[in-house]
Amino acid sequence: MLFNNRTERYFVWVFFPLALLMPLFLEQNTFYVSKLTTVMIFAIFVMSLDYLVGRCGLITLGHAMFYGLGGYIFVMIAPEYEAVNFWVYTFYICVIAAAVALVIGFLVLRTSGIYMIMITLAFAQMTYYFFSDSLDFGGNDGVFIYVKPDTSLFGLSLFDLENPTHFYYLCLLSLFNTLFFFRLVTRSRFGRVIDSIHENPGRTTALGYNIFVFRLMAYTMASALGAYAGYLFTLQYGFVNPSMLAWTTSGSALVMSILGGIGSIYGAILGVLVYEGLHFSLEHLTEHWLLFMGALIILMVILFKNGIAGYLEKLLERR
Amino acid sequence: MTTSLFFVQLINGLQYGLLLFLIASGLTLVFGVMGILNLAHGSMYMVGAYLAWYFVQQTGSFTLSAVISAIIALLIGIVVERTLIQRLYRRNHLDQVLLTIGMIFVFNALQSILWGNDPLGVQVPDAMSAAIPLTDVVEYPVYRLFVALLCVAIAAIMYYMINRTRLGMLIRAGESNREMVECLGIDISRLYTIVFAIGVMLAAVAGVIAAPMSSIVPGMGEHVLIACFVVVVIGGMGSIKGALIGALLVGLVDTFASVLLPQLSSMMIYILMAFILLIKPQGLFSS
Repeated sequence: MLFNNRTERYFVWVFFPLALLMPLFLEQNTFYVSKLTTVMIFAIFVMSLDYLVGRCGLITLGHAMFYGLGGYIFVMIAPEYEAVNFWVYTFYICVIAAAVALVIGFLVLRTSGIYMIMITLAFAQMTYYFFSDSLDFGGNDGVFIYVKPDTSLFGLSLFDLENPTHFYYLCLLSLFNTLFFFRLVTRSRFGRVIDSIHENPGRTTALGYNIFVFRLMAYTMASALGAYAGYLFTLQYGFVNPSMLAWTTSGSALVMSILGGIGSIYGAILGVLVYEGLHFSLEHLTEHWLLFMGALIILMVILFKNGIAGYLEKLLERR
Repeated sequence: MTTSLFFVQLINGLQYGLLLFLIASGLTLVFGVMGILNLAHGSMYMVGAYLAWYFVQQTGSFTLSAVISAIIALLIGIVVERTLIQRLYRRNHLDQVLLTIGMIFVFNALQSILWGNDPLGVQVPDAMSAAIPLTDVVEYPVYRLFVALLCVAIAAIMYYMINRTRLGMLIRAGESNREMVECLGIDISRLYTIVFAIGVMLAAVAGVIAAPMSSIVPGMGEHVLIACFVVVVIGGMGSIKGALIGALLVGLVDTFASVLLPQLSSMMIYILMAFILLIKPQGLFSS
């Protein structure tokens, strides 16, 4: 089977059918559909971060850099008043983001631990200031996207990106594919070497693997996926601005990934759902929601070490 | 650039660098001794600035306000260390990052509850509101010079404390071998509390003395935190000497870049950092 354990199988069988039917329940309410779409997009982003942090042991506080780049690369390369092909540009964006990640990763992965945390953060801030100071990219206001891409593939157009429900299904499909993709990766030879590097870098080196190259490959892959999530976000709201690159984006993604259960991959979806749910309801209750969010994060670190996925696994697995 | 302008920029750069050193030294001290990366360190800088503003409103005296703010910061440091940071010693970096991110959220929320989100300002104290004329048109404010001198004085006191006093000896011992210090019958957790509180106080004092020079705004803590990261990465994490050199480098590069290369000014320090990392991945003075 493709699943790691029973909890994951249950989760996938409950979550995806429910998510498929969700727009039917919310027929009248495009607000909730688009809110859920954002959750899906963010779950892709958090999942790619979760792989880096939880499976590779590479703690980065600069993952938002690629999230933002996904949007900015699109406005850089796409013509302003002409619909482009979604799939072709997905390919372009992933390739360009991967190329950027290769260069940044080469620098960043020379360090480890605390240093890596700070250096990834510093690189993300560098891109943040680059775009927020740049007049070509609208400074703090960012750039608007006037024409959304069309999604025809071999003459068949499945999704109309102007329609929120269509967009929702595109994101759901992307999320499913991302989960599936990471499952394949973790089961492949490559994924096993990565797990072994996480467990014991010294021994993996002794076995003849060049751990730097493997880490760089994982970093590049996760960054390209992060950029894909950013690209989807940009298309959903029709603009890109520097706040996507802000360190708070990386920080909250990290919080969500821990909340869900670090390294579990599917936990990213749970983490984003719970975090965004709390955020949404607290925001409605009080304008000082940040206080409660902060307190919750602190409590979570102290009491709830393995995240929601870890908790569910403890409930469901009989060993 | 004329000579006088160059001279002014040079002092500005040094002064900014010294202020950064004050903040970064706390960050690097806490990391060096306790192995804790405190992301909420910048929030303490923010808290210092807001406390300074509040007590200037209440007492009317900047000096008095500075003293009260420093004492409150010390108390905050002790309470935070005793209740939260102490739980992190046997945890990994990830938990440290998360818990201190949570602290940033809490401090930012408290700031907006207590003092609102409008930018605030503190008057330069009357005794130092003058400016020294350098040429016919260029003059330099006394307060900025005072800040530079104060930072140098604090750095000197720290140097003396770490190298010449019993507390400094314990700090250095704690840096090199935690278990051995414990075995010698020294209460390491008390030592950690003291070190953390001193770190918090240094950041808050920097916030206090920076308050009259810049406006007090939400988010000022995060801005300065990132600059401090660049400083400690350049200087080498855990090294006070490295923090000094790194801070001066960052201060000078940042100041001159904003005059010479305005388009790239806010990116320049990160480029400097990337360059240094290429040559020395562990920073200039890694321990």
